[in-house]
Amino acid sequence: MSSALEIGLLAFVVVSALATALLRDVLGSIIAFSAYSLGISIIWVFLRAPDVGLTEAAVGAGVMTVLFLLTIAKTVRPAGEKTIERVNVRALGVTIAFVAVLSTTLFALPPVGAGDSAVVTDDVTRYYLENAYTETEVHNAVTAVLAAYRGFDTLGEAVVVYSAGIGILLVLHKEVFE
Amino acid sequence: MSDDTAESESPTRYVESPIIMATVRVVAPFVFTFGLFVMFHGADSSGGGFQGGVIVGTVVLMLGMAFGIQTTREWVGPKLPVVLVGAGVLAFLLIGIGPVLLGGAFLEYHAYGVHHASKYGIELVELAIGLIVSGIVTGLFFVIAAGMRNSGGETA
Repeated sequence: MSSALEIGLLAFVVVSALATALLRDVLGSIIAFSAYSLGISIIWVFLRAPDVGLTEAAVGAGVMTVLFLLTIAKTVRPAGEKTIERVNVRALGVTIAFVAVLSTTLFALPPVGAGDSAVVTDDVTRYYLENAYTETEVHNAVTAVLAAYRGFDTLGEAVVVYSAGIGILLVLHKEVFE
Repeated sequence: MSDDTAESESPTRYVESPIIMATVRVVAPFVFTFGLFVMFHGADSSGGGFQGGVIVGTVVLMLGMAFGIQTTREWVGPKLPVVLVGAGVLAFLLIGIGPVLLGGAFLEYHAYGVHHASKYGIELVELAIGLIVSGIVTGLFFVIAAGMRNSGGETA
């Protein structure tokens, strides 16, 4: 991450995240949040993870924004002319301490694109990269892992989405229509 | 911005906008095709069932935004999202159990004995995931939007 474009993107993401947290108007907050998602998804593409970027753009910037907008449609705008929410100092202190604790793990991460990181040198990764094309006949190694090597995991995820989704649909449907 | 919130205080009112309707009418088929492309092409490029399913679900969201959520829900029907989700999980399970019946392991695509069995198997699984995700997105959209009218007493 060194070029001007990447630094600009990072700054954009940080600013939109701050705007999401600080804006008093919920509508503005949601718009800032969708801008944040869009920036993050472009960063994923820069990090050579287009699958994750596509997901973030579709879910984070697209569907979540619409669902949030529908949710706040029931609320009213808070009174007053202030644009920025007042910051709770104690909550801010706790948050900064929490982030500082989490940040200590940053130093354990290998630099982006490092050839000797555990992910690259791991035997499982090697096996996937060497055999995915011939064994599964697909050209996207991510899909090969998701749907072939770890197909059973993916089935589990699909069933989780199924049960969570049907549960929410049932409960909300009852609440709304009965 | 204040206009939006003023409108949202009386959310039952739906205002037709010819610009949005015309835009959605032009864009929706392309978005739908793109979603299917991402779903089917996930095997060979980035993307896959999850992303494609979300994009296909977005088409229904766009239609709802342009032509009124109530109208769109009546057009789609209350059962279709649930049917999509159930059919997706069922299809995934059947694709997985098929090789077991043919004497292989669970999800062992090669047991089907078709040429490129693995490739087609993976693409079918992606399609099943796409069905699940698009059904969930559509269903959530309608249910959350229905909460906007808290008068109750209407049927899906």
